[in-house]
Amino acid sequence: MIRKVLIANRGEIAIRISYTLREMGIDAAAVFTAADEGALHARLAREAHLVTSYLDIDEMIRTATDAAADAIHPGYGFLSENAALSAACAKAGIVFIGPAPETIRRMGDKLESKRIMQEAGVPVVPIWEGEPPDSEYPVLVKAAGGGGGKGMRLVERPADLAGAMASAAREAAAAFGDSRVFVEKYIRRPRHIEFQILGDSHGNYLHVFERECSIQRRHQKIIEETPSTAVTAELRAEMGAAALAAARAVKYRGAGTVEFVLDPAGRFYFLEMNTRLQVEHPVTEMTTGLDLVREQVRIASGEKLPYRQDGLGQTGHSIECRVYAEIPEENFRPSIGKIEIYEPPLGPGIRLDSGVTRGSLVSYHFDPLLAKLIVWAPTRESAIDRMKRALDDFVLLGVGTNIEFLRRILATHDFALGKLDTAFLDRHPEVFSPPSEVPVEAILAASLPLGEGSREARGARTRQGEASSEGAGSGTAFPDAWTSGPWRNS
Amino acid sequence: MTSHELHWELPGREVAVRVEHSKGTGTFHIAGQAIPFRLLDRNTIEILGRRVRFYAIRDGNSYTVWLDGHTYHLKRAGKSRLSGTTSLTSAANEVKALMPGKLLRLEVAVGDVVSEKQIVALMESMKMETALYAPQAGRVAEICCQPGQVVELGEVIMVID
Repeated sequence: MIRKVLIANRGEIAIRISYTLREMGIDAAAVFTAADEGALHARLAREAHLVTSYLDIDEMIRTATDAAADAIHPGYGFLSENAALSAACAKAGIVFIGPAPETIRRMGDKLESKRIMQEAGVPVVPIWEGEPPDSEYPVLVKAAGGGGGKGMRLVERPADLAGAMASAAREAAAAFGDSRVFVEKYIRRPRHIEFQILGDSHGNYLHVFERECSIQRRHQKIIEETPSTAVTAELRAEMGAAALAAARAVKYRGAGTVEFVLDPAGRFYFLEMNTRLQVEHPVTEMTTGLDLVREQVRIASGEKLPYRQDGLGQTGHSIECRVYAEIPEENFRPSIGKIEIYEPPLGPGIRLDSGVTRGSLVSYHFDPLLAKLIVWAPTRESAIDRMKRALDDFVLLGVGTNIEFLRRILATHDFALGKLDTAFLDRHPEVFSPPSEVPVEAILAASLPLGEGSREARGARTRQGEASSEGAGSGTAFPDAWTSGPWRNS
Repeated sequence: MTSHELHWELPGREVAVRVEHSKGTGTFHIAGQAIPFRLLDRNTIEILGRRVRFYAIRDGNSYTVWLDGHTYHLKRAGKSRLSGTTSLTSAANEVKALMPGKLLRLEVAVGDVVSEKQIVALMESMKMETALYAPQAGRVAEICCQPGQVVELGEVIMVID
């Protein structure tokens, strides 16, 4: 029986987890670092503990003990896929809301996870630990110890392989402390399709259908949806069976995600398993009615999954857009500052999982994800219309965002047709071009005097740089932490 | 009635806007045009016959304006450059384009008699139609642009004597 949970995370996911805990009558304790003093997730919590880092396992266990929490929910990113936290929880008598340490460790190693899946009969992308045959080019060099595009190289010719492996190994060593690299067959124009899975401690496994996550920038997802336009009922049954085989192979306990690539011919291959709640989990919730955090808590409490595979179904269509504090038109440069105006979209079928509000400071300490805008509608077409409307209504000023960029992606013909793959943005440079003309109404509105128009916003703006506790000036280079920090692609 | 004037830097040019207002209603003066407006609430303005929701924030001379789902960045000209804006606030007898765009239709012909604030032409920009008004009563002396033509901000459309 779980009575109190320490949420070892920040931002929108910490808030989202706290909502379910409150609905379940479970107490929640938040953590925050000095840089997050006054952050929304800490302000909304009834109890919040100052920590030096979201990554310090010993401190997190100590904080949970001090708070008399009997469980820790790690969210995504940070410590969520750290086997040592799961192990430390077990040692301290705290329930870890996630899988066993062994599962996290084995799935975190890309080479080992592929080997396990191959033995379980799950199709995997062909890999080589040495040189592949010349006929297999182009190939990808990848890091065994981590993801997020770090240590990844596309190699077109055998002559370039040695150099690419050496430089990828150096990058992987710096990013993950693990220099192992391997060579993988390169799938041209792949879709990224993943399956949500649930497993309990009684040997029951379910899949909760797919999510299409092919719209990516810098190997990170920005728009996700379910169902996928590429997945027929037959393919869903086939891929779902493979996802279940993957879950069984590691006796998966909790909520997890099996990621596949799907090639244009309809062949799919296991990519990796994410042993945590996924950023894009809401689209699954919107179409199935499940609350995946509630399922996680129940499973961690030792309860049996109360569903049967043939009793699960999807209704309608759901799309998620990730709203980032970044400027897509300037090579996705992160934007920092204070949110002066925050007017979220409202209306039927709209869900906003947000970590910020008016007055929130956006610094370069953390991932630039501000909020996830999720819509549900009966059909894909109406879901796209609804998302476009919601993005049009979303006012967030003070930091630059990708809101209009997302809107332009949704307006493309190929998106409407569902013709997606992970190189979508490369093939659609037009979505990087904002309208260049300023309408006269904007000039006139800006000319309105103080005291009318947006009174409180005028003259109250925090200058760039002041929002950061380290006081870096505007226009300086951003540290690597922006792109290579503890937040993995999810 | 209070009044103030702002100068905006746009690509390649400056635009002066004078605002006269009292108790939520007033008039913008831009490019020789007088455009009446009404503030319905802090973030809604009725202008050119339509209601527009907007938000604006300011950081020094840099303004960020949200309007109809789009965010625009505007820069105010420094005081030292005010003298360079005369051409855009010039001659009260000229009808000028309020924005870059396409001239859709002329509502008058050379020789027609017009009254002050009468609609004399329609423009399209950003897929929105905008009416151009006569800045004064008089007779249309010259028409400088034809329907379908792409015009620059501040370009003279017609002259009224």
